[in-house]
Amino acid sequence: MIVFQDLSFTYKGEKQPALQEVCLTVPDGGFLGVIGPAGAGKTTLARAISGMIPHHYSGDYYGSVTVNGLDTVETSLDEISQLVGMVFQDVDSQIISPMVEDEMLYGLENFGVPREEIPGRVEDALEKVGIADLRDRTIGSLSGGQRQKVAIASILALKPRILVLDEPTGELDPRSSRQVFSLLKELNEEQGITVILIEQKIMLLCEFARQLAVLNGGRVIFQGETREVLAHSDELQALGVNCPRVTTLSSILSEKTGEKQPACINLDEAEAMVRRLIP
Amino acid sequence: MKTNLFQYVPGNSVIHRMNPVTKILLTIVICVAAFLSGNLFYLAGLLVVDLLIGIIAGVAGKTWTIFKGLLKIAIFLFVLQILLVRNGTPVLWIITDEGLLTAARVVIRLVVVCMPLALVLAVTRVTDLTNSLVQVLHVPYQYAFTLSTAIRFVPQFLEEMAGIMEAQTARGVAFDKARGLKKFSMILPLCAPLLISSVRRTDQTAAAAEVRGFRLRTRTSGYKKYPFTAVDLGAVLFCALLLAGAILLK
Repeated sequence: MIVFQDLSFTYKGEKQPALQEVCLTVPDGGFLGVIGPAGAGKTTLARAISGMIPHHYSGDYYGSVTVNGLDTVETSLDEISQLVGMVFQDVDSQIISPMVEDEMLYGLENFGVPREEIPGRVEDALEKVGIADLRDRTIGSLSGGQRQKVAIASILALKPRILVLDEPTGELDPRSSRQVFSLLKELNEEQGITVILIEQKIMLLCEFARQLAVLNGGRVIFQGETREVLAHSDELQALGVNCPRVTTLSSILSEKTGEKQPACINLDEAEAMVRRLIP
Repeated sequence: MKTNLFQYVPGNSVIHRMNPVTKILLTIVICVAAFLSGNLFYLAGLLVVDLLIGIIAGVAGKTWTIFKGLLKIAIFLFVLQILLVRNGTPVLWIITDEGLLTAARVVIRLVVVCMPLALVLAVTRVTDLTNSLVQVLHVPYQYAFTLSTAIRFVPQFLEEMAGIMEAQTARGVAFDKARGLKKFSMILPLCAPLLISSVRRTDQTAAAAEVRGFRLRTRTSGYKKYPFTAVDLGAVLFCALLLAGAILLK
C-alpha cells in the first residue's frame, strides 16, 4: 500500500512547490492512472514513490510517503528500489548500458539475483515486451520506441512489487501502447503487482486503470474510481484534460436529456446507453 | 546516424574472444614498446602489428578509417618536427637528417600508440571492459562506471547535437554553406544548450543507476565471468615477444 500524507515538495532552487498537500492512497494490487496537464507534478509524484525524492532530489519536504509501511525518508533508497520499479519518462537517461543485454542484466546483478535465475528472467522480460530479437543490439542502433521497450523490460526483469511508469508509451505506436497496457493489466491481475501509471493517452488509461487521480498545479484535484472521476468531465475539460469521447458523449446526453447518465468509459457502455435512449 | 569510432562491432574473432584485461595489457604493451625502441624498422613493424590486429578482428574498414584520421594529424606533426629540430646536418634548406629521423619516430609512435586504444573499444563491449576491470583488476566500480557511462554517452551527444543543429537549420541557420573556421564559429554557440541538456541528463542517469542498486554492486556482482584461456596465454606470450624485441632493437 502506498500512502501520501499531506506531502508538499519544492525542488531545491525553485520557488513554486511541485506538489502541495497531496493525500493519496493506492491499495495493494491497485491500478492507479495519473493524469494532468504538463507541469502538474506527475513526475514528482512518481519520484516520491520511488524514493528518488528525497534521496536523490533534495528540497523542502513536508508530510510523508509510506510504501508498504516503510517511510521513504527513513528507508534507504536501495531498500525502496527493491520494492518499487520505476520507468522514467526520458528513456535515454534511464538506459545506462551501451547494449540491450547489459541493460537487462544491470539491476539483476546489483540486487544480487541468484545466477541461475538471471537468464530466465532476462528472456522472460524481453519476451513479454516483445523484443527478444533486440537482445544483442547496441542501444544507439534502436529507435525511440524500441528503447522505451528496453527500459520497460529492464524494470520488469527485476520483478518489483510496485511498478511506477512515467509516460511509458510516449514514443510507442498505438498498437505497442495497447500491448504495454495489456501487459501491465496482466501483471496487475495475475501477480497482484501494484501499478501506478502516468499517462496522457486518456482513452487507454480509462480503459485499464481502476482508480484515477487528476493532478493540477501540484495538487490532487480528483481521485477515486475511474468512473467517478470521469463524471467530472466538464471540470476536467476546463483543466485541459481531455476525456475519452464516450465520456464526453455521456455528459452531453445527460445535459440534453435532462437526466443524469452514468459516465461511460468504453464503447460497449456508450452503445448500450445510446440504445437505451433511442428506443 | 553517423557511426562513431567508439562503437562496438560485434564479432567472434580471436581478438573478440580474448579476455578484456588481456586486450588492455596488449594495448599497454604496444604503447610501452613504441616508446622503448627508437628503431624505425621495429616501429614500422609495430604499425603492421596494429593493422594486423584490426584485420584479424574483422574490423579492417574501421582500422583503415582510424589510420587515415591519424595520418592527417601525423603529417601535420611531421612538418612541425622537421621545421623545429635544429640538430644534425642539413639535408635540404633548414631540414636536417636528425630532424627527419626524429619526426619519423614521433609520428609512427603516435599512430602506433593511438590505434590500439581506438581498436580496443571497437572489439570489446564497454560493459565487458568495465566489468572485467572491476572483477579481475579490482578497480573500484565507481571509476569503471564513469568510464562506461562516458562511452555510452558519445552516440547520445552526437544525436543531441544533430537535433540542436536541425532545430537551428529549421530557423534559417545555413550550416551547409559555411566551411572551416566560419562553420566552427557557428557550431560553438551550440555548446551551451548541449552542455545544459547533458548535465540534466547525467543527473537523471545517476538517479536511474541509484534506483537499480548502484550502491549495492560489489566486485562479484557481474553475471558474466572473465576467465583466462589459451587465447589469453598466447596473447601474453606475444606481449613478451614484443617487449623483448623492443629492448633488443633499441
